Amino acid sequence: MSAEPILQINELKTHFHTERGRVTPVDGVSLEVGRGEIVGIVGESGCGKSATAQSVLRLFDEKRLASYEGEIRFGGRDLLGLTPKQMRGVRGNEISMIFQDPLSSLNPVYTIGGQIVETLRLHRPIGRKEAAAKAIELLRLTGIPAPERRAREYPHQLSGGMRQRVMIAIALACEPRLLIADEPTTALDVTIQAQILELIQDLNRRLGMSVMLITHDLGVVAETCSRVVVMYLGQVVESGDVRDVFKAPLHPYTIGLMKAVPRLDGDRKQELPDVPGSVPPLHQIPQGCRFAPRCAFADDKCRSAMPELAALPGSDTRVRCWHAGRIAGTED
Amino acid sequence: MPLLDTNTPAAFDSDDARLRLKRENRKLFARRFVANKSAVIGSALIALIAVVSLFAPWISGRDPYGLDVVNRLKPPSSAFPFGTDNFGRDLLTRVVYGTRMSAEVGFAVAFASSLIGLVIGLYAGYIKWLDQILMRVMDGLFAFPAVLLAIAMMAALGPSVGNLIVCLTIVFVPSIARIVRSSALVSKEQTYIEAMHALGASRNRIIWKHIMPGALSPLIVQGSFVFAEAIIVEAALSFLGAGIPAPTPSLGNLLSDGKLFIYNSSWMTIFPGLALVLVVLAMNLFGDGLRDLLDPHARRAGKKR
Amino acid sequence: MAFYIARRLLATIPVLFVLSVIVFLIIYLIPGDPAAVMLGDGASPETIETLREQMGLNLPLLPQYGRWIGHALQGDLGDSFFMRQPVRTALAEHLGPTLSLAVLAELVAIVIALPLGIRAASRRGELADKTLTGFSLFGITVPGFVLSMFTVLLFSVQLKWLPVSGYKPLSDGLWMHLKYLILPALSLGIVQASLLARVTRSSMLDVLNESFVKTALAKGVGERGIVYRHALRNALLPILTVIGGSFGTLIAGAAVIESIFNIPGMGQLLVNSVQRRDYAVIQGVVLFVAFAYVLVNLVVDLLYAIVDPRIRLK
Repeated sequence: MSAEPILQINELKTHFHTERGRVTPVDGVSLEVGRGEIVGIVGESGCGKSATAQSVLRLFDEKRLASYEGEIRFGGRDLLGLTPKQMRGVRGNEISMIFQDPLSSLNPVYTIGGQIVETLRLHRPIGRKEAAAKAIELLRLTGIPAPERRAREYPHQLSGGMRQRVMIAIALACEPRLLIADEPTTALDVTIQAQILELIQDLNRRLGMSVMLITHDLGVVAETCSRVVVMYLGQVVESGDVRDVFKAPLHPYTIGLMKAVPRLDGDRKQELPDVPGSVPPLHQIPQGCRFAPRCAFADDKCRSAMPELAALPGSDTRVRCWHAGRIAGTED
Repeated sequence: MPLLDTNTPAAFDSDDARLRLKRENRKLFARRFVANKSAVIGSALIALIAVVSLFAPWISGRDPYGLDVVNRLKPPSSAFPFGTDNFGRDLLTRVVYGTRMSAEVGFAVAFASSLIGLVIGLYAGYIKWLDQILMRVMDGLFAFPAVLLAIAMMAALGPSVGNLIVCLTIVFVPSIARIVRSSALVSKEQTYIEAMHALGASRNRIIWKHIMPGALSPLIVQGSFVFAEAIIVEAALSFLGAGIPAPTPSLGNLLSDGKLFIYNSSWMTIFPGLALVLVVLAMNLFGDGLRDLLDPHARRAGKKR
Repeated sequence: MAFYIARRLLATIPVLFVLSVIVFLIIYLIPGDPAAVMLGDGASPETIETLREQMGLNLPLLPQYGRWIGHALQGDLGDSFFMRQPVRTALAEHLGPTLSLAVLAELVAIVIALPLGIRAASRRGELADKTLTGFSLFGITVPGFVLSMFTVLLFSVQLKWLPVSGYKPLSDGLWMHLKYLILPALSLGIVQASLLARVTRSSMLDVLNESFVKTALAKGVGERGIVYRHALRNALLPILTVIGGSFGTLIAGAAVIESIFNIPGMGQLLVNSVQRRDYAVIQGVVLFVAFAYVLVNLVVDLLYAIVDPRIRLK
């Protein structure tokens, strides 16, 4: 972990106020992304990883739907304290985001070039011509062949992989310090997935841009990230160095996920299947440890009291489990 | 084939269970109906209109055709709550009879066009070659603005209540047929229908016993909108002199009289106008409520034309 | 693109054919001999026979239709029996006022409906949204001609701001022209606006839930940019459909409104011809309006291609 993280999330809670009452898909999440680092956030669907990512940019409708608690420190400020206007200045400029399905994420009625130009002109005082030239440069940077021609085309004329490269080009337009990639390869073919991940890694190295990579795929994390944060039901259950966590996972949930990881040469598209049971809905959160109902190690203590996220003595990995010591083999 | 003799693919084990389910559904429907404001207000208004129509002769006690030269163009008073018209006829009485006429024509048109539209829609939806012919004709009819086609046909047939009902029915059949057809197309694709076809059930039996029930909900909803729309077009036609012939009190005729005296006898316009709005409002609220209850996902596709 | 246009053009041919057959057959709804009905009681058998000859009623059905549609396609819609002039001339004389009224009413509808629908969608549950709910019930409940009579009572009879009825052509000056058209156009337009506003709202809501709106938000686009630049253009297709479809409704509605305001348009021509049993004019007006209606919708379909590159580049 680097000394001075670029993004530091402290006890973030995101509440959704729905007709059926309040739910909290992000419930006290703390995590950090260091400078130049790629951090993976992993978990089953419904674990709050995507909601955490979108909360960083405050993308949820704060007038009708959502409210936030806690702290999101970025560049010396708390993003949750910014005005809507200041927040717009951060989005797409200092922090960019790309999404799962690149086709529906691009506006079908505008050209590729136009959509990049829009971002540039939102945040930089440059003219149309200059922006158009920069857009072509960006497309080239993301490895799109014949960028001059592509810039004049519409999203539906491109292949899935090309579209995700376009999304990345849009995200890179203002040279952000942090890229949030929300399941960027889930909707793509396996071979294309690898190319996109390579591109993200390459940009991370060349531009020194930090990346927060949301995925349900531990294989992707192992290949791409330096650190991993495992989430379950709105909480972080384990976080640490990728090598440490993969070598010796401490949370029963992480262990379950590891078993579910297909071999790296296999088809990575399948969802995490092998953790027994399923994620309960947000309005039926179990008492005590949230993973207890699905956990082989669970006892009465687990079912009544929530463990804290803490590091074991002599370890950098932080884990939220009463039995972590036993699992690590340092106690019995 | 007793096993196939149910409306749903999952045949119920016993009649008892089916009956219980039916009763439960009915109870649930009643509860949702009461909770639906549009449906409640709409049906209350319809009940009011029905009572007024049925008891028209007793409500004012006057003759809708009774001339009274002394009391021409009298403003509303205690003797004539809605005032009188240019022949001294009591406007309240005429509005009551006019509302009754509108409701009768509206109902007749909604009923007839629902029936014809149902038959056309079902057969068009189920039989491919018929679909081509029937729906071409329906598209052609649908391409006319409703009022225009009705005026042209009435011009040829000549004004009378019967002709008006025939014309409006022709005008509104396509909107019903379209909705029934699209429902039939969906039902047809279901496996149990295909299975029954394979088992040799007759075409008519499949259509009427198994496809028709699925089309009923959208049909009823659309029918109630046709009711409202037919009342508007009837009034417009009578207003133009191409609908119900003159001395007969209909809301359109009353408004047409009102137009002549709009300068000095505003009541001749206001009361028939409000009555028309009330009838249409009642049917629209009722239709809206029904749609929410029966057919929550349906959009108002065929409604406006 | 060319393929798309060709396909749309081809698809309108059967509709136009059925339309023309229906209009043609209207004359057969007349009980008895149309020629005798038109000439009235005192006509001699010779006069009736001459008119039958002129109208082609002596021919069998198919050749009769062929003759009629053949002429119609060349712009010859027959002669007005009452006015002693070609139907085409009568149509041309009455087209202007109706077109003015319909265009003005459409403008009223758009000016009211689009901002209201857009705002209701982007501020769900707030004032604009609630206004829209009430307004759309009002629009489907109050028929245009009743509304126009009520507006006449208020603005012309009570307040005396505007003339009760009549029409002045554009050549009398724009203000004069508008002064006489304001009330009819408002009454027609408001009813249309209620439908258009509802469609605008639901179409905008659909689009605002799409992923690319989230992308735009993540790029730092503000609320106005999201609504107007990103959502509106995508929401335009259903809106255009309703605008195109409403032209027919407006022209038909104009028929009724024109007779209230005594505007010498096609509606009045139609109503007068109904009273005169001038069937050639009735057929001519109906055929013309229905064709125009189908063609306007065709133009709308072609506009889709301009709005949406996915259709254009297919």
